[in-house]
Amino acid sequence: MLLTLFPFLFTLALTFSRVSLVGGLHLSFAGLGNWYRLLTDPRFWTTLGNTVVIVTGAVSLEVVLGFGLALLAYRPLPGGAFFRVLFIIPMALTPIAVGYIWRMLLNETIGPLNALLQIVGLPPLGWVSGERLPLLSMILVDVWQWTPFVFVLCLAGLQALPEELWEAAQLDGASGGQTLRYVVFPLMVPTLLTAAFLRAVEAFKIVDVIFIITGGGPGTRTESLTLHAYYRGLHAFDLAYGATIAFALFLLVLVASLAFLRLTRRLRATEVWA
Amino acid sequence: MKRRPPALAYGILGVWSVIVLFPLYWLVTASFKDALAVHQGPKFLPWVDFRPTLDAWRNLLLGVERETIYGPLLNSIVIGSSSSLLAMAMGASAAYGLARLRVRLGPLANEDVLFWIVSQRIMPPIVTALALFLLLRTVGLLDTRTGLVLVYVAFNLPLATWLMHNFFRQVPASLEEAALVDGASRARALWHVVLPVSIPGLVATFLFCFLFAWNEFLFALILTFSRARTLPILIAAQHTQRGIEWWSLSAMSLITLAPVVLITLLLQGYLVGQVLGGGER
Repeated sequence: MLLTLFPFLFTLALTFSRVSLVGGLHLSFAGLGNWYRLLTDPRFWTTLGNTVVIVTGAVSLEVVLGFGLALLAYRPLPGGAFFRVLFIIPMALTPIAVGYIWRMLLNETIGPLNALLQIVGLPPLGWVSGERLPLLSMILVDVWQWTPFVFVLCLAGLQALPEELWEAAQLDGASGGQTLRYVVFPLMVPTLLTAAFLRAVEAFKIVDVIFIITGGGPGTRTESLTLHAYYRGLHAFDLAYGATIAFALFLLVLVASLAFLRLTRRLRATEVWA
Repeated sequence: MKRRPPALAYGILGVWSVIVLFPLYWLVTASFKDALAVHQGPKFLPWVDFRPTLDAWRNLLLGVERETIYGPLLNSIVIGSSSSLLAMAMGASAAYGLARLRVRLGPLANEDVLFWIVSQRIMPPIVTALALFLLLRTVGLLDTRTGLVLVYVAFNLPLATWLMHNFFRQVPASLEEAALVDGASRARALWHVVLPVSIPGLVATFLFCFLFAWNEFLFALILTFSRARTLPILIAAQHTQRGIEWWSLSAMSLITLAPVVLITLLLQGYLVGQVLGGGER
């Protein structure tokens, strides 16, 4: 507790300070200087935009894919256990190693993705050097690693649904698609929202795979807020300003979380939740 | 269930399996390539379009690079297991207290305390990492195993508490009450009755904490440089050297990933058990 609360307050203090490390640690009050600098720092806005794009893109894809795959895999079907185990594996893998694997795959000259594109007659793509594609590549990697998380939660949610539900719907003459849309989906909304929320909280912190694959480049096109804070804090050794970026990220996640909790409370009130 | 054509279902599941497996396949084959096979453009099939070699593995395990990987590997094992043991023990105690005793902290009751513990994950690690850098620097724990262990315990404690809390809720309180009625002290009841039935939960909690500590990157990056650096830092450091030696880096990655995959397979039963158990609650 001391180890998380104290650093947290210390970071807050740093955002209003100037730091000097010459002959021990010295802090001096700097007022709102760091915060003013943050708001006028174009790189902050770029990395904020990158982070938000990655979070929204990756999380929505993960929810759709994870739910879809769970729908296919949750019923007893021959070989089902194999798929369930296999699909879980990526999310346990060391993110740095995953980043490195994808660095190989996305490599534009010696990587296999462009080679496969050429085999089917398509031009090679600038996975990590293009204008907008690098950010999409980061989303791709996140989707590969974290769709399993949504998959597991959906699997649990689906298995918690009563067996009779399907039969009742079928007796009422509902088709597979109708059952899914009007019976299963509404019941799964809480699970899907929770999965999206937990994933979003984690995705806001994204840094490892970007650090390995592009280092934030080309330029700052894939730099996330955490990476920006790290570069400012420990490469440029401007700890006070790095702390300010980090704290801004925290405020962002906090506001997003509170908005989410309010949304679910409203849903609960309107009985969609049941 | 619905009359979905199983062929289509299998087709989609198969496609996703390929998507999951291909990157791992690429990693494994890359560790058996030499410089030529890597730089001549992508080679897909061993023995067909490149000649597999054990050079990378030999160098890493027996040869010149042994020194490079030995330190970080040992650090990862020591830091991972000791921090997970501590987090597990402390988390279990906290969770037991929360599950069995009524805790009041002003207006906060048990559920709020638990929520507060869990909500710490909302805070991005970079927020504390920069401050911890200064703190550990001040007390001289920067680039030490002790420093990283302390940080990982703090980082894993919410998770451990939450997992053990879920677990203790499923253990009927009547079990210890019976022991207490029989005249056992609370300590004896804990040691001889609660602990034995909690072992599966403790093991799972340990493994989850170990996974997080083993995989963690940002704290290790900021708080270690040479003596205490872990495997992820070793892998990350490779791309600052002149050119990347893909083959040896692939072998290093596989060594890093092996225990992780093993733990996942072990935990899979627990996950499914929890998943199925969740349906009955």
